[in-house]
Amino acid sequence: MENIIEVHNLVKSFGNKLALKDVDFSVRKGETIGFLGPSGSGKTTTIKILTAQLAPTAGDVRVFGKPVHSLKDPAEMKRIGILTDNSGLYDRLTVADNLGLYADLYGTERKRIVDALEMVNLTGEEKKPVQKLSKGMKQRVTLARAILHKPDLLFLDEPTSALDPANTRDIHEGLKELNRAGTTIFLTTHDMEEAESLCDRVAFLDDGEIRLFDTPQNLRMLQGRPTISVLLKDRRTVTVEPDADGAAAIARFMESGELLTIHSNEPTLGDLFVQMTGRKLA
Amino acid sequence: MMTFSMKRVNAIFLKDWKDMQRNGYVLITLALPLVFAAWIGRMGEGSTSLAAMPITFALVIAGAFVQAAMVAEEKEKNTLRGLLLSPASTMEILVGKSLLSGVSTLVIIIGSIFLADFKVPSLPLFAVSILLGLVTFLAIGTLLGLLSRTVMETSILGTPVMVVFGMAGIFKEMISNETIVAVIDYLPSEQLAAVWSGLENGSEVGSHLLVLTVWAVAAVAVTVVVYKKRRMD
Repeated sequence: MENIIEVHNLVKSFGNKLALKDVDFSVRKGETIGFLGPSGSGKTTTIKILTAQLAPTAGDVRVFGKPVHSLKDPAEMKRIGILTDNSGLYDRLTVADNLGLYADLYGTERKRIVDALEMVNLTGEEKKPVQKLSKGMKQRVTLARAILHKPDLLFLDEPTSALDPANTRDIHEGLKELNRAGTTIFLTTHDMEEAESLCDRVAFLDDGEIRLFDTPQNLRMLQGRPTISVLLKDRRTVTVEPDADGAAAIARFMESGELLTIHSNEPTLGDLFVQMTGRKLA
Repeated sequence: MMTFSMKRVNAIFLKDWKDMQRNGYVLITLALPLVFAAWIGRMGEGSTSLAAMPITFALVIAGAFVQAAMVAEEKEKNTLRGLLLSPASTMEILVGKSLLSGVSTLVIIIGSIFLADFKVPSLPLFAVSILLGLVTFLAIGTLLGLLSRTVMETSILGTPVMVVFGMAGIFKEMISNETIVAVIDYLPSEQLAAVWSGLENGSEVGSHLLVLTVWAVAAVAVTVVVYKKRRMD
């Protein structure tokens, strides 16, 4: 499958500090890729390089098969959408005026504003001045702005960091729909649930290096087969191995009517990240 | 490849126009030159140089100060980054961001001419001088906006600029150092005054227009260079 992003031996330094160290990865067309890491791990620097906001110190970075600086060409820029950590809005203007500006800059029909607002759960808020919106609503407007022109490639830097669980769930559904319609998504997050919910592959970024890069399922399997916990009606928890003995034990609990719940103890991506790097994701 | 789309320029202009209508700071600032012009006009019997002062004042206040505030606000609120990450090119953003201040300045200048009862000596050459002055002061305003982190900072950085570029002629009589006086004579405000006075007296104005052209080109060049360095700050 065609690679939308190709990065080889990427190095970025700020003065003496190395922010990215020999980073290598590629993103295939139609994938949703998540860069997971704590603050300062190099996630935002990676997005800034991939969107031509920052020049790499060394290495080869290609987007749509061309050197990344070709994104400065308006025709190429129209193919990407960006939600950065500090995307600003015009406070005195309405939601529709803010999005209307970008519809005109991208040459997109204004009727797309309605669809974009629907995706971020802001239908009916078009005429509201941005200064009267909550922080979460503002973040949803910036997300609507990023997807307004149906980009081929969407960069999202912490897309749901200011949102409540209900809106986060809706945004995730919208992003999945966008992805199904053909948009490749590259997102950074320190929210492991977000990464698991959205991403086909996840990279663990720590101190400017990719420690692991694989599907969430494969990453969880790195720790071996997970054990199984059984909660009994007397509130005892019994842990068994996923083998014949374990199956027999579980069958006994079911036959005797003692079993209340059963679940596998596979590690979360957050657990794995801590095990791999010794650092928490927050 | 350099691209220039009037549609994108127009989109930025329309956005600024809607925003300006709700921006009290900018509206009040734009009204100041008109108030000054009305005051000069009421004094009556003034000389041409006195009646011309509100025009220079309009260029400094509406052209440079308002432009600086509008650019600085884009930086302060991280909206300039959004424009930069859109298909709009450097030129489209700079022209789009200057268009509203430019049009406003021209309207204020026309208003000031009537209110201060300034007699326009030769319309074509007067218009050329205004255009050169406008480009220069808009570029200076953009520069101030890019160098400021907040709208408030534009006032701090802008005040000395206003004194030097708008009021240096007033202080010239008090300065005995010939070098400083010679430098002041080359400032855009003095060159504009020299053009208008020359048009009235029938003396040569070509050299002054040339100096104004150099100012305009230099100011735009410095602004483009600083913009490319500071835009992502």
